[in-house]
Amino acid sequence: MGRVITITSGKGGVGKTTTTANLGTALAMQGGRVAVVDADIGLRNLDVVMGLENRIVYDLVDVVEGRARLRQALIKDKRLPELCLLPAAQTRDKDAVSPEQMTELTNQLRAEFDYVLVDSPAGIEGGFRNAIAGADQVIIVTTPEVSAVRDADRIVGLVEAAEKGPPSLIVNRLKPRLVSRGEMLSVDDVLDLLAITLIGIVPDDETIVTATNRGEAAVYDPQSQAGRAFVHIARRLNGEEVPFPALQDGQGMLERLFGMFGRRRS
Amino acid sequence: MGFFDNLFGRRERSAQVAKQRLMMVLVDDRYKLTPEMLEQMKLEMAEVLSRYLPAVDPEQIEVTLLRGEATDYLKADIPLKRGGE
Ligand SMILES: Nc1ncnc2c1ncn2[C@@H]1O[C@H](COP(=O)(O)OP(=O)(O)OP(=O)(O)O)[C@@H](O)[C@H]1O
Ligand SMILES: [Mg+2]
Repeated sequence: MGRVITITSGKGGVGKTTTTANLGTALAMQGGRVAVVDADIGLRNLDVVMGLENRIVYDLVDVVEGRARLRQALIKDKRLPELCLLPAAQTRDKDAVSPEQMTELTNQLRAEFDYVLVDSPAGIEGGFRNAIAGADQVIIVTTPEVSAVRDADRIVGLVEAAEKGPPSLIVNRLKPRLVSRGEMLSVDDVLDLLAITLIGIVPDDETIVTATNRGEAAVYDPQSQAGRAFVHIARRLNGEEVPFPALQDGQGMLERLFGMFGRRRS
Repeated sequence: MGFFDNLFGRRERSAQVAKQRLMMVLVDDRYKLTPEMLEQMKLEMAEVLSRYLPAVDPEQIEVTLLRGEATDYLKADIPLKRGGE
């Protein structure tokens, strides 16, 4: 039985779709059977990020409403035969699907795949509730910015209330040089604020832009630092212990010296 | 250089400012405790404490929130004035 992992955030545009595409690809490269599900109904995006937009015939809503079978709607990746995409409907809105239907769908998928990654829409409304409905694990993506961290904290509360277990955190678009100058929240700062388990740190990286332009995941590019970070996260999901690079710790030392804030994390 | 600027309180770095602001915002979001209420709470704490410890200065009390995985903690630092006065 596969694992259903939902990738979500409070604030929009922090990198959920980028994360889903790259983790899905990395997990498949590591030998897993992976389905990525675009749960952002009405704002379909995962297909273009993965370069599969020309192959869509049926979508998630077609499956839920019985116009297509799951197998018909799943699109095989161009390179990795064990990676499939279930695209979102573009012309419907979030109410087209209920949490029960999403749970049913992800349960069907987990019977055939090792990993089912669900790309959630931003926000705290229906689309988010659908996206986490069938999840065994929730990953929250944030950038090291005040608004994104604040919204992430709302999501932490909602995930806890939904009894989905403790969520894990990806800090995306980190700029190590800004952090070392004390002009960007460090990963330690974000962890002090959110107090959830860290699963990945992804630097801000131009190769994400170029990879997305081509519809190819950055994890294929050995030069891509962000790509490497996503590979590390995939290995952690596979149960491997992969150490975090030291880059996150620009400022934590000083704080500890002066004991300004307590530190608590698992 | 920036390090010493910090030490002598010249200009706090923006990350530190962001963290402190977020701390306050998250307390408010989660516990509906506004900065004004927190101030009031400090004053009342000082009032109670000074019944037993005249050395408590309400201005110096610092209350911060520490987050834990299962529980959050309210931490109060209450410096005491040394010697007579
Ligand atoms: N590590 C990164 N480095 C540079 N650019 C990035 C990085 N991560 C994401 N981006 C860029 O940020 C933008 C938003 O990313 P993405 O679409 O993945 O966010 P999202 O959370 O899915 O957004 P939405 O809430 O709209 O669904 C994209 O242009 C993407 O290329
Ligand atoms: Mg998205």
